Amino acid sequence: MDDRSFVAAQDFLLASKTYWTKRIYPELKKTYETAAGAAPAPPETPAEVAALLEGEVLYRYFSWLERHLQRFKYAGRYGLVPYHDERRAALSAELRDTDAELAPGLEMPNYYQRVDIHQHPGGVWSDELDGYVYERGARSTTPLMGAAHGDLHHRFTDLVAARGGAKDILDMGCGFGKSTHPFCTSFPTARVEAIDLSGPCVSLGAHDAQTKGSGNVRFRQMNAYETDYDDGSFDLVTSTMVIHELPPREIERMFTEAARVLAPGGRMAHLDFYTIDGPFARFIHYGHGRRNNEPFMQPLAEMDLHASLTEKGFTNIEVIPFKEAEGVGESGNDAWRFPWTVIMAEKMP
Amino acid sequence: MQLSDTLLEDRPEQTFFEDPALDRAFGVVMALATEVYVLRDRARALERKLEAAGVIEPGGLDAEPGDEERAADAGDREAFVEGLMISLLGKQQAKGAS
Ligand SMILES: C[S@@+](CC[C@H](N)C(=O)[O-])C[C@H]1O[C@@H](n2cnc3c(N)ncnc32)[C@H](O)[C@@H]1O
Repeated sequence: MDDRSFVAAQDFLLASKTYWTKRIYPELKKTYETAAGAAPAPPETPAEVAALLEGEVLYRYFSWLERHLQRFKYAGRYGLVPYHDERRAALSAELRDTDAELAPGLEMPNYYQRVDIHQHPGGVWSDELDGYVYERGARSTTPLMGAAHGDLHHRFTDLVAARGGAKDILDMGCGFGKSTHPFCTSFPTARVEAIDLSGPCVSLGAHDAQTKGSGNVRFRQMNAYETDYDDGSFDLVTSTMVIHELPPREIERMFTEAARVLAPGGRMAHLDFYTIDGPFARFIHYGHGRRNNEPFMQPLAEMDLHASLTEKGFTNIEVIPFKEAEGVGESGNDAWRFPWTVIMAEKMP
Repeated sequence: MQLSDTLLEDRPEQTFFEDPALDRAFGVVMALATEVYVLRDRARALERKLEAAGVIEPGGLDAEPGDEERAADAGDREAFVEGLMISLLGKQQAKGAS
């Protein structure tokens, strides 16, 4: 497929997703509010919302588009996977000399292999080009922000930096480094370690870091809940959009591991999807998890993170809603969005 | 790589409509819409290049075509419509058993 056709098709899919975000979702919300107003008692649970909405034609199209626009984006005729597959030789050559530290024998957890996360065929790890596929796809994950998607990561590191400095930073589940680079720039004197289960992603991360000349970062293929770092090696442990990909048991292990590798008084800051306002938003978010192959969205949203972190000895625990861009979530802006949440805590001094 | 390489035999696709046929048919519609957009994009790019090369005037293709040009395309139009609509008749085009 030629590049122009690929871009035109992807632009069309993104425009369709934007229409879904800004027009279909608010319309669905209105439909819900009307139905809820007419119900004998206002719905309190996602199941009660489902009972009101599941027969609605608009809800069926909403759901269909949420699932299938993503399928087309990755696996359609102009999908990210076939596009990169056709450019395999050139792209794999680019990655040949990266200084990423790969762990070829690393065992991939069952949850990671069982489901192709966010409908990326084969997941973000099984093909050498998966870093590129994921990188290209991530440019249009949140249609409202378009090219400013990078903003979200910077807004997060700004918030973390406003709370204090750091010398040694661990980015768990760094992907291809989109969450890591803003830490390198917000904490220019820090040593940054970026780890991810996916070899193809850390390879691309290292390649980009070399190109950008970020000298203070190292990309390593490693499991976030089973790292090889010594106790107390970091004063800041972070992750971005990782926790929701793990089952609750593995999330607990990831926090335990974070507690171990943090020095006394060190802190954690995670950006993910957690605090959800009301049964309609909950219904929509759980449905998103199902439709987009993110099976642990719902279990995470139902965990008591405060209790779990307290039990692991963390203090000053904060769970705060996060604005991923200017103007989101304000009245008059009814567009669909993720329930962005920042989770911060400190290890006892 | 073939698109069929991505089909997972043991995992049926999710369905959202009362009749799963609609789920599949809407997939065909969206795939076609994507192709239409790709063609539009290409045609526009071609026009821009032709304009830049002075082959056509800016907006040179926007004017209403003359009767002669429309008449010349009538046969093509008819064949296009027939190809599109013939299925609606529900008739066999090759003799089957009954
Ligand atoms: C949605 S991506 C986010 C990547 C990056 N943090 C960003 O913001 O762009 C989630 C990442 O988590 C990684 N991941 C999932 N489970 C993991 C685990 N147990 N250990 C390390 N990484 C993991 C995946 O490979 C994937 O790259």
